[in-house]
Amino acid sequence: MKSLWKSGDPFVWLSGGALALSLLMVAGLIGLVLRNGFGYFWPGDLVELGLRSGRVVLGEIVERQAIPDPGAAVGERVRYRVQVKQGNRDAYGADFLWIDEDDVVRQRQPADAVVIERREWGNAYGFVTAVKEGDETVARGADAWRALHSRLPETTRLTQEIRDVETGTIGAISYEQERIRVQLRGLQRRNVLDPEKVRVLEDRARELQAAYDQELARLALLRARLTGAAILAVAGAGERVVPLEQIVRAERPNEMDIGEKLAVYLSKVWEFVSANPRESNTEGGVFPAIFGTVMMVVVMSILVVPLGVLAAFYLREYARQGAFVSAVRIAVNNLAGVPSIVFGVFGVGFFIYTIGGSIDRFFYADALPTPTFGTGGILWASLTLALLTVPVVIVATEEGLAAVPRGAREASLALGATKFETMWRVVLPAVLPSILTGLILAMARAAGEVAPLMLTGVVKLAPALPLDGFAPFLHLDRKFMHLGFHIYDVGFQSPNVDAARPMVYNTTLLLLLIVLALNLTAIVLRNRLKRRLTVSAV
Amino acid sequence: MSDHAAGALGDVEVSPTSPPATVWSSRFARRRAVDHVARLVVSTGGIVVVVAILAILLVTGSEAYPLFLPPRIASLPAVPAPAASRAMAVVADDYREVAAVVTGSGIEYVSLATGGRVAAPGVDLGGATVTAVSRLGREEGVLALSDGRAIPVTLGFDVERESGTRVVVPALRVSAPVVIDAAGRALTRIAYAALEDGSVTAATVGPRELAIVRATITPALIGSGERSEHRAAITLATRGSITSLAADRRGDSVLVGTDAGEVAWVNLRGSEPAVGAIVQASPASITSLGLLIGDWTFVVGDEKGGVASWQLLDTGDGRFGPVRIHEFEGHAAPVRLFTASLRNKGFWTGATDGSLRFHYGTTGATLAAVDAGEPDLRALELAPKSNGLLACSASGRLLSWEIHAPHPEVSWGALFGKVWYEGYPGPAHVWQSTGGTDDFEAKLGLTPLIYGTLKGTFYALVFAIPIALLSALYASQFMHPTLKAVVKPTVEVMAALPTVVLGFIAGLWLAPTVEPIVPGIFLMPPTVAMLILLALAAYRALPIGFRLRIRAGTEIFVLIPIVVLGGWLAIELGRGVETWLLGGDYRTWLASTLGLTYDQRNSLVVGLAMGFAVIPIIFTIAEDSLANVPPHLTAGSLALGATRWQTAVRVILPSASPGIFSAVMIGFGRAVGETMIVLMATGNTPVMDPSIFNGFRALSANIAVELPEAPEGGTLFRVLFLAALILFVMTFAVNTVAELVRLRLRERYRSL
Repeated sequence: MKSLWKSGDPFVWLSGGALALSLLMVAGLIGLVLRNGFGYFWPGDLVELGLRSGRVVLGEIVERQAIPDPGAAVGERVRYRVQVKQGNRDAYGADFLWIDEDDVVRQRQPADAVVIERREWGNAYGFVTAVKEGDETVARGADAWRALHSRLPETTRLTQEIRDVETGTIGAISYEQERIRVQLRGLQRRNVLDPEKVRVLEDRARELQAAYDQELARLALLRARLTGAAILAVAGAGERVVPLEQIVRAERPNEMDIGEKLAVYLSKVWEFVSANPRESNTEGGVFPAIFGTVMMVVVMSILVVPLGVLAAFYLREYARQGAFVSAVRIAVNNLAGVPSIVFGVFGVGFFIYTIGGSIDRFFYADALPTPTFGTGGILWASLTLALLTVPVVIVATEEGLAAVPRGAREASLALGATKFETMWRVVLPAVLPSILTGLILAMARAAGEVAPLMLTGVVKLAPALPLDGFAPFLHLDRKFMHLGFHIYDVGFQSPNVDAARPMVYNTTLLLLLIVLALNLTAIVLRNRLKRRLTVSAV
Repeated sequence: MSDHAAGALGDVEVSPTSPPATVWSSRFARRRAVDHVARLVVSTGGIVVVVAILAILLVTGSEAYPLFLPPRIASLPAVPAPAASRAMAVVADDYREVAAVVTGSGIEYVSLATGGRVAAPGVDLGGATVTAVSRLGREEGVLALSDGRAIPVTLGFDVERESGTRVVVPALRVSAPVVIDAAGRALTRIAYAALEDGSVTAATVGPRELAIVRATITPALIGSGERSEHRAAITLATRGSITSLAADRRGDSVLVGTDAGEVAWVNLRGSEPAVGAIVQASPASITSLGLLIGDWTFVVGDEKGGVASWQLLDTGDGRFGPVRIHEFEGHAAPVRLFTASLRNKGFWTGATDGSLRFHYGTTGATLAAVDAGEPDLRALELAPKSNGLLACSASGRLLSWEIHAPHPEVSWGALFGKVWYEGYPGPAHVWQSTGGTDDFEAKLGLTPLIYGTLKGTFYALVFAIPIALLSALYASQFMHPTLKAVVKPTVEVMAALPTVVLGFIAGLWLAPTVEPIVPGIFLMPPTVAMLILLALAAYRALPIGFRLRIRAGTEIFVLIPIVVLGGWLAIELGRGVETWLLGGDYRTWLASTLGLTYDQRNSLVVGLAMGFAVIPIIFTIAEDSLANVPPHLTAGSLALGATRWQTAVRVILPSASPGIFSAVMIGFGRAVGETMIVLMATGNTPVMDPSIFNGFRALSANIAVELPEAPEGGTLFRVLFLAALILFVMTFAVNTVAELVRLRLRERYRSL
């Protein structure tokens, strides 16, 4: 025993245990997100449970757990309970229900049980008994399901058309109207009472109003054509009417084979990444958040690369080496350790209120007191993150510069090239991979950062994307949505956390994939670079 | 080093040799110009970035700096107004253009620009004179008359616009007189509270006699409702006679000061007014009495010039009464005048020698002192927006001052020390920046937030440091290099995980998962360690021939399942311990034995989650410094017969210790500034409780939650900038120390 201690192996093994724990935690976290994220879109079987009380529950079983019973004697049989997603929030009030397994007397999987994904009120579970068109019943019983499916494509097309009119045509008119309103106010403010100008603007406003009314009439006509409804027999809540335009998807999962299920799964995944959120972000897709995240990262990259590269070249190639440059270098390194929220506060104080406020006073005075740039927006968020990530680019570029052999520079200078030519033709090409590595690391950091964005322009639901079809197309003053903030908002600010949780796991998975992919690219790039440099050094 | 080489190269003057022809020379000139421009651009760009870094410190600092500026008080030109010499009270409009001066003969309006009279209808006094006035201002007050009646009045102002310019017009509203003293004695002092369903009036009719009238209007379906009056007369059992009187706006209390230095509290809450308490507030006669906004704190001024604030609180013996809170910087003469802000707890006192002082009720600080230039001021009034002060002098002049005090509630003491807030039993550290009502007293104590930040950091480091350092030691010294090439990037990826993900997992998954297995979590370290040792013993019992075939540094493959097993075992053991030793439920046991409560989102959860975020950072830096220890040291030690553990602990650790120190420091910096994890995994309640089972609120999370709601330039806005500055300075200092230590380490390795 004594020799065991003396050998020191126990400590070696204990330290190995610590590393094992670290690795297990990473694996556990990623496994947890994967397990909860991927499963959600899979169409689960519907189960009908008959309870001891005579009540019947139809839904999906989402979880099974032991009932906590602190007072139980050791060895006593552990009882289990299941969590059933019963949906029909409008009928029951709650989507989820815990049921004691001991209370279940009967359990079956009816083949004709239907799950309907609705635009509002979440899922509905039940049996389709009839399909109506206005007040007239067009199909009943076994035909109803077929009738429902044959009508859905037309309804979907109509709702899509309505949405196009609402967001496209009417959106364009409102945008134009707002611009005319601001122009009129500007004329008033500057006391330019040129009647001709005012008349032109007012005529245009009248035209727009007429076009607006016309579109509204068209919408009313379109809406009048949406008359279909499905009648759904819901356990314990009688027959309920589900208007067809409310239906996103209607399936009978119990009679689907694996291929059909896979098709539904993929279409749901596609909806998740391509559609707008519904039901206060707890359903639908996260497309605006993906778009916002990507766009913010792109704008940040455009800003951060020149800044970081210039600073690195200045520090290593142009500035006279000495105490000052060493101090700056330490400061830059430390900047990477400054809390991100501090950058956010700086963004608020400097970008938004100082610079943005001035821009508003000089260029957007007509719209005041509504701020244009004097409030959070994607430009300020990107700038803040650019400042946050600039040390990453500086450090990476400096490392690259240090690795460029001195001989290369001297050879270039000896051949008569100026310093700039040496930098441009010899040094810069050699450090490009390092710059790229730095950029990718900066993008990974920016994509995952949330705290500074909360102060500088992220919102839970943005009315419009920062890039659209209205001139000037790129709206850097707009607020935007972000995947990371989406996680925080839906997971912690949502009124119905149970229903929102799968959505949060999916968003988390998406964000993790983006960040990990970026990081792995950077690591691979760095390793390849190292290998190349070692080769060239030999 | 290449730094020096590059610097030296930069100074080499590249001069092209003599150009053979003019074509060449122009080309050289262009190249030189381009080179010059490039140098300029790079240097400017570089300097811009360096300046931007400094700007962070400057901008954050400059937003917080105005908090600590003393108030600016500027004297405005005095205007002659004869009414001022007879003034009993004065009220100004929002724009400080017109003042209403109350004199014995009624109300006169005076222009503050010229001193000229502004024509306006007056009050019909019915032949009597005004003997006293209650608090006046935006809400209704009363004029006390010599015939025992009181006239409720509202000294309002209307703002009209005439061709673009602003005109302030007096809008006096007078209600029907109320008989306070049926005997018709003169009312010498009066206090009034306008209530939603009526009013309360208290007046002195004799040296110790108070008349209190409560008017109640019962709403009727049609018409103005029915008015009923309830009268009471009280004779105070005080030694001195009444010198001052004040009533709160809720109509709950009347406060009376006497010339023997007593303050009596008359409780109006019961069916009949009753004297609640009489305290000796001052050795000298009470000459001034007034309430601060919110009407919980009252200020007592005495004949010797002393100024103190009091609150109605539990006096310690279970009874309710006045308690002294703060003693302010006093005057050299009797305090006669008092006026309180309608916006915050600021107030002014004036003494008979013409000295005026600006105090702040929450902090107990006296912020400014002004000399009016003449004694015996008649009336003193803060402008409705608290941006000006108005005084009526005995010589018939209206004196006014411009006040610029945007952040009177802030002082170093209020930010970091204990403050006795309204309604609290004693001084306390409190952060509560916003409340439901306008007269809410903002509590801007940063100490609970700093405490929360440090608490979270502490628990995170307790978890992270041992694991990260042991992992780094193992990875750098004992692990097989092929494995290390895989493990190190994995841990680096762990560092790249967005903290919002960690926070979400901690708040929504870890917190509910940990709750039922807390005893198991605490048993985990010893259980896992025991199991590892058992596994080692078992391994050593294996035949040597088998052991030799296993490569050194691959223990990790055995250890991973052992750690999993240990974790599971610890949880099961924890269940057993809970049942047998803790009476079945550890939360009940915690509450009964240790007096601790259990929050679901607590410091344990934060410690685990934030530890998770910090581990890779400490690991990476520590591993780097351990791996960079010159290999000949290791080789020498091993050659001398030391075991690999001895080598690691006696040779490698000491030489790498600065690197390890800097790793821990940088981990500390990261934990201090972490926002999303603490935001999502704690309850965000700003309590100061060291218990691991309670939550906290950190500086960073506080900024994230409150800054979006804080109005620009306001006190809260600036205090949050100060909080950011504290975070910045804390992390920047720690990181700089770590960086310097690391640089020194590099030097040391170079010399080895």
